[in-house]
Amino acid sequence: MEHKGFWITLAALACLGVYLFASAPPPLAETKPTAASIPVTEMFAVLEAANDQMRLMWARDFVGEGKKVGLKFDEHWRDADLEAGPLPAQFLRETAKSLEKNPSPLSLYLGSDYPINPANRFEGAQLERFQILRRNREPQFFYMADTRLQVGMFEDVAFAEPCIQCHNQHPQSPKGDWAMQDVMGATTWMYPEPAVSPEELVRTLAALQQGFEEAYAVYLEKVKGFAQPPAVGRQWPRDGYSIPDAATFRQEIIARTAPGTLQSLVALTAARSRELAHASTP
Amino acid sequence: MNRGHETVACDGCHRPAPGTLRQQLQANVRYWLGVRATPADFGRSAVGDAVCLDCHDRPNDRHPVYRFLEPRFVKARQAIAPHHCLSCHAEHRGQRVTQPDIGYCVQCHRETRLRKDPLDMPHDRLIALKQWDSCLGCHDFHGNHIYRVPVEAERTVPADRIRGYFTGGPSPYGNTLHYQARKEVRNGT
Repeated sequence: MEHKGFWITLAALACLGVYLFASAPPPLAETKPTAASIPVTEMFAVLEAANDQMRLMWARDFVGEGKKVGLKFDEHWRDADLEAGPLPAQFLRETAKSLEKNPSPLSLYLGSDYPINPANRFEGAQLERFQILRRNREPQFFYMADTRLQVGMFEDVAFAEPCIQCHNQHPQSPKGDWAMQDVMGATTWMYPEPAVSPEELVRTLAALQQGFEEAYAVYLEKVKGFAQPPAVGRQWPRDGYSIPDAATFRQEIIARTAPGTLQSLVALTAARSRELAHASTP
Repeated sequence: MNRGHETVACDGCHRPAPGTLRQQLQANVRYWLGVRATPADFGRSAVGDAVCLDCHDRPNDRHPVYRFLEPRFVKARQAIAPHHCLSCHAEHRGQRVTQPDIGYCVQCHRETRLRKDPLDMPHDRLIALKQWDSCLGCHDFHGNHIYRVPVEAERTVPADRIRGYFTGGPSPYGNTLHYQARKEVRNGT
């Protein structure tokens, strides 16, 4: 009987093992994907490419062409008494807002060391990384320990004349000598995991796409209240005082982002295949 | 309960964690054995920002919590943790705002300059004088109240009334809201 305690413990552990594993119900789903093979830095690059396309489209096809036909765009576009749409920075902020409501943990911000809105000024580690980015013109990736978030910063380049005109002439702008191709600021992406699964990447891309669509939906809602609303349908500002409806917008943004996204995904897959081949080589 | 939450049921916020108790035990044992990536909640899920936002998320929030996750707000996060609802609205205290300092705007607005300053005492002067307990005398932090913002400094809401509002007193911004809070979600449904 001197081993009684041992046998009781063993029996209890066996019962617990049966209770927990042998006859247990299906295990709870993981809250994190287990097949995370794509570095989050790669995902940020794919997202940034899609966002670049969106921004280009908004700046040229909406703001640029729209102004020619009488549409107005203003940083204070949300003011009730202003019949205007968002400038590219505000469109990005609307997209970011939509992302925060999405189950995807992706975050997006826009900032600068010389922003028009002081609330968008970089500070601390973000400012230091931005200064490196401006010097090297290379994306910056780092980890914020206090928020446990992976961060990616990508340059925001002056790519159209109206961008620098607006920023140089704005009464609140702290800098008045921006020139084409200057790094005016950076988009900042954040995500909690250092790597993602292919499925998670696609889901995050879909969340960004949805963000674009929801940002545009806010603008569509706003134009309904204009004294003279533009025609909403299949036509664009370049065709006259008109803007595309939600379906036309969606179709166009997919058409513009798809080639770059596909190219990135193919490159990622090729790189992964090379890694696997290398790993299996004796 | 905090002011305004008197009718909220316990399970409005404290929701059952996913799975049965047995599954939760199993998941945590697997986690301890290293064959699962994340632990699982026992019994009830932790109450976080998402639970608050189920009722209080609004399109016009001037200071949504996510904004403060950006790296540049690290000092503000260290000082007052504005990236979490519960940092200022700790529950079960019988108050409205549990942040004791009404001058917390200093964390982010030292450099604020206005395009057209409507106040008879310019904001840059208030900032230079470090009058940080005056900000909430005009500004409703989350921006959900509909009220006429005073343009004369002497007509702004005194700091004592703001403190009283924090501890559960009447709203100095009136009771007309842009958006009402939604009814709480129970049992995760």
